[in-house]
Amino acid sequence: MTPMEILTAAATGNPAPRIPVFCNMSDHGARELGMPAKQYFSRGEYVADGQLRLLRRYGYDNIWSLHYVGKEAELLGCREILFADDGVPNVADFVIKNLDDIAKLDIPTDITQHPAWQSVADCLKILCCEVGTTHPICAYVTASTTLPAILMGMDKWMELFLLGPFDVRDELLRKCSDFCRQEIAALRALGANVLIYSTPFGSPYFVSRKQIEQKVMPWMRRDLLPGGNEDIVYYCGMAGFNDVIDLVFDELHIKTHYISPLADLAEAKRLIGNRGLTCGVIDDIKMIHWSTEQTRAEVQRIIEIGKTGGHFLFGNGVMPMAVPEANIRTMVDAAFEYGRLP
Amino acid sequence: MLDAYIQSYNQAVFETDKPAALEVVNHALNDGFSPEDIVFKLVIPAIELMMTLIEKDPDANLAQHFMTAQIAADVTEKMLEKFSKPPEMIGRVVIGAAYGDLHSLGKRIVSGCLKSLMVDVVDLGTNVTAEKFVDTAVAENAQVIAVSAMMVHTATSEKGSLGVRSLLQERGLEQQIKLAVGGAPYRFDPELYTKVGADAWAPDGVTAAKVIVDLIREVKP
Repeated sequence: MTPMEILTAAATGNPAPRIPVFCNMSDHGARELGMPAKQYFSRGEYVADGQLRLLRRYGYDNIWSLHYVGKEAELLGCREILFADDGVPNVADFVIKNLDDIAKLDIPTDITQHPAWQSVADCLKILCCEVGTTHPICAYVTASTTLPAILMGMDKWMELFLLGPFDVRDELLRKCSDFCRQEIAALRALGANVLIYSTPFGSPYFVSRKQIEQKVMPWMRRDLLPGGNEDIVYYCGMAGFNDVIDLVFDELHIKTHYISPLADLAEAKRLIGNRGLTCGVIDDIKMIHWSTEQTRAEVQRIIEIGKTGGHFLFGNGVMPMAVPEANIRTMVDAAFEYGRLP
Repeated sequence: MLDAYIQSYNQAVFETDKPAALEVVNHALNDGFSPEDIVFKLVIPAIELMMTLIEKDPDANLAQHFMTAQIAADVTEKMLEKFSKPPEMIGRVVIGAAYGDLHSLGKRIVSGCLKSLMVDVVDLGTNVTAEKFVDTAVAENAQVIAVSAMMVHTATSEKGSLGVRSLLQERGLEQQIKLAVGGAPYRFDPELYTKVGADAWAPDGVTAAKVIVDLIREVKP
């Protein structure tokens, strides 16, 4: 079976030789090509090449098109990204510096015409051509309720979200939701078929369940309305969200849940059951200092919790560049071994 | 009557309702309570209670942490202007986001809580070098350097907490200046703080204030 068929089997509960093994190796691409991060992210061809080489090296089941989260801010006017050769780029120029800037924020009528989109399009075109028929292609989308954090800074956004002025907050959310809808449609059109919908404000770690129900859920519904939710993965930036899994099923009809390593995986599996796909995620920050034996034991633990009853996928979080290669190799090999199905 | 105000204020803080908290404070002032009473009998006990609740309650959320800090800092700042004489501060902290890190939420929560606990806060902002942390701590006679890092590479970099530790060692300052860290990577690996040379860490901004106050007391009994 191809990785795509293995994923479909896991999602639908059909027989397969093993569970799917997904990796996010986004930041490792530059090192793989031996170039500085700024150069690597400057062209879609480089990102595609780096990710394809990593896929060939480790042999996991998916591939990522993500450049960096700040790309979305660039599409909305951010003029400076702070690159680092040992980690994730930061937004260094906030598009919204004061509340008056919200009225001036322009959502492009077609984000695919924006120069910053070109590298995303180029990358996806290559990935589709190379592995589009065999492998799931993952893309990343920031939810409308979280996008303001990269446009104005998390503390300013938290303040506006909680304290208002609420008409200004809602104007910003409407614009961000318009952007989100466009981005999802554009990524799907380019062949991305697993959309990681990043919604930290959809986690009770960030705001209360009541706030999620009343203030976040309506915007998530709006973000996702046009194209349906079949290819959407609910992801809260590695924060736990077991307490809202039922709500996500009922209100958003999202079936795939990327569970935080800090959450109780057994509980998540029980809550999701065979209604959808539970993604068990290893704590790859601990992997920086773990031995290969510890890594292997943790993969075994996660898969033993999740494999019974099917509908399970093994994945990682952010895979920092400081994680030793031996641990990545051990993680992938152990996931294939323990993930075998009878 | 004070008990009723304490109850109403605590409720407002717990529900992250800043207008309601400020209303309680205004009523208490109108009823003749002094600004000193407001800070020492209302605000500080409330933040200490919140610390206890957050420590016990794994479900406490970031919005609660943020609003607790904002309410406490705002009320304290307003009341300090009305104090009959300047209050005795318990110590001084130099705080900032690690080199290469532009995230400021965690730092802002910690700063708000510290100010309400009568700690002087010198905020260096984001993307701060190890040299600047140490030079400022020496110049300001601070007891604690607090380094916030929200990304793995800024938490583990030689230019972040590890760099601060090296400088403290080189300059023979380890007995007089303690080092605290916080941020998302430390939540995923609670042992990480020892690997980056810190004396202490906290899983969230509100408890970070408590940890920092404890460090101040180690240096300045």
